[in-house]
Amino acid sequence: MASAAISRGEILHLYRSLLRTARQFCDYNIREYTKRRTIDAFRQNQNLTDSSAISAAYSDGKSQLDVAKRQAIVYSLYAPTIKSVMEA
Amino acid sequence: MATSKLLVSTLRKSLNSPSPSSSFRRFSTAAAEAVAPASEPEDSLNIKGVKISARPLYLDMQSASPVDPRVLDAMLPYYLARYGNPHSRTHLYGWESDQAVETARSQVADLIGASPKEIVFTSGATESNNISVKGVMKFYKEKKKHVVTTQTEHKCVLDSCRHLQQEGFDVTYLPVGNDGIVDLEKLKGSIRRDTGLVSELNVSFHTDAAQALGKIPIDVDKWNAAKDKGGAPNEWGGQERGIRSGTVPTPLVVGMGAACELAKKEMDYDDKRIRALQERLLNGVRAKLDGVVVNGSVERRYAGNLNLSFAYVEGESLLMGLKDVAVSSGSACTSASLEPSYVLRALGVDEDMAHISIRFGIGRFTTEEEIDRATELTVQQVEKLREMSPLYEMAKEGIDIKQIQWAQH
Repeated sequence: MASAAISRGEILHLYRSLLRTARQFCDYNIREYTKRRTIDAFRQNQNLTDSSAISAAYSDGKSQLDVAKRQAIVYSLYAPTIKSVMEA
Repeated sequence: MATSKLLVSTLRKSLNSPSPSSSFRRFSTAAAEAVAPASEPEDSLNIKGVKISARPLYLDMQSASPVDPRVLDAMLPYYLARYGNPHSRTHLYGWESDQAVETARSQVADLIGASPKEIVFTSGATESNNISVKGVMKFYKEKKKHVVTTQTEHKCVLDSCRHLQQEGFDVTYLPVGNDGIVDLEKLKGSIRRDTGLVSELNVSFHTDAAQALGKIPIDVDKWNAAKDKGGAPNEWGGQERGIRSGTVPTPLVVGMGAACELAKKEMDYDDKRIRALQERLLNGVRAKLDGVVVNGSVERRYAGNLNLSFAYVEGESLLMGLKDVAVSSGSACTSASLEPSYVLRALGVDEDMAHISIRFGIGRFTTEEEIDRATELTVQQVEKLREMSPLYEMAKEGIDIKQIQWAQH
């Protein structure tokens, strides 16, 4: 936690990882939500300047990514055989 | 990631393969059936005699809502290694479960501005309302003999009130305005020296805080908070401070706590979005159709719940026609019967309109595309039904339907 300021590269990497993981959700609604929420959260935080606020947001994003990775697997295990009409 | 993907694909293969030769023995057929119905082709399923080739878009959030993956993520450990009974005092298993339950209690309390000591976990709104309506009145029965409630209250509250009446308590059932809102002057007038409880519902058309939890800011004195509508799992129970016996199911309580914490964090974001989606739906339908009535107050309502009636259209036919949209008719809980909702009748909605109200429930995971599709399908269906309706024809020609003398048979 006590590490130095988080680089722009690290933040972009987190952003892309979240979007990539979002796409792995087989459930239409969860997939769309995860994409949307990721984009909105990064947009909302893009003007943060305080380094402690940035690192708090970054570590929150990291833990969200961990949750998303685990849950994308859980959802895929029990995916219904027929898709949503929104994807049909 | 690579290993887990591999694991997933092997698991899926073994779960989905019908394996008639039974090269391996399944642990349980129930799980396998839930994943792949045995005799059905992959691209459709047959349920209740209806062939379904795609899952309808879901707009019935007041009946049940999807569990948020973040909530499920918090719960799963308590279904796996952490299975201790929170009431076990003699080992790690019990302690860790107890700690999880107490954390959840604080998370719930924090959302609603209560003290954790005031939170009692129950199986749901119906039980909570029973405990508080009957419990409070029986506790005060020496001094307090009177309960005030509204005609539009949830059935479980009304049933508890009936029960109290039979035991000699007085109950006042307050009427509500056309917008579903109680006249505060009337409420003031109905309170007596011996009034022990005022019970009133919150989110339009459903029971008190169960629906409001995590959706609109509420402050609590004696609120019953149930969980199944807040992205938390359904059902549960509790060894709760002598008020309720039964083991507290740790995973469900943990889920409730996680859902509350999440709701607190996401309330502003969700509310803004849901409000926009509701407007989009209402404006979309109104742009194409006349005779659209919003049941309940338009301004003072929870945005995730839009209850609409369409003049000259029979509701059941509309619901049948909307097979790609999962919605409910009227106000819940009487949805299994054709009886027009007593809630709508109390609001002064005409009997013929009360038959045809459709409840669109919007939630955290609803997309704009779903709203647009639902609008399009609803408009299409209403137009189709009106085309067949002689009443609509007559109304268009300027005949007042209410003045018609129907011939006796």
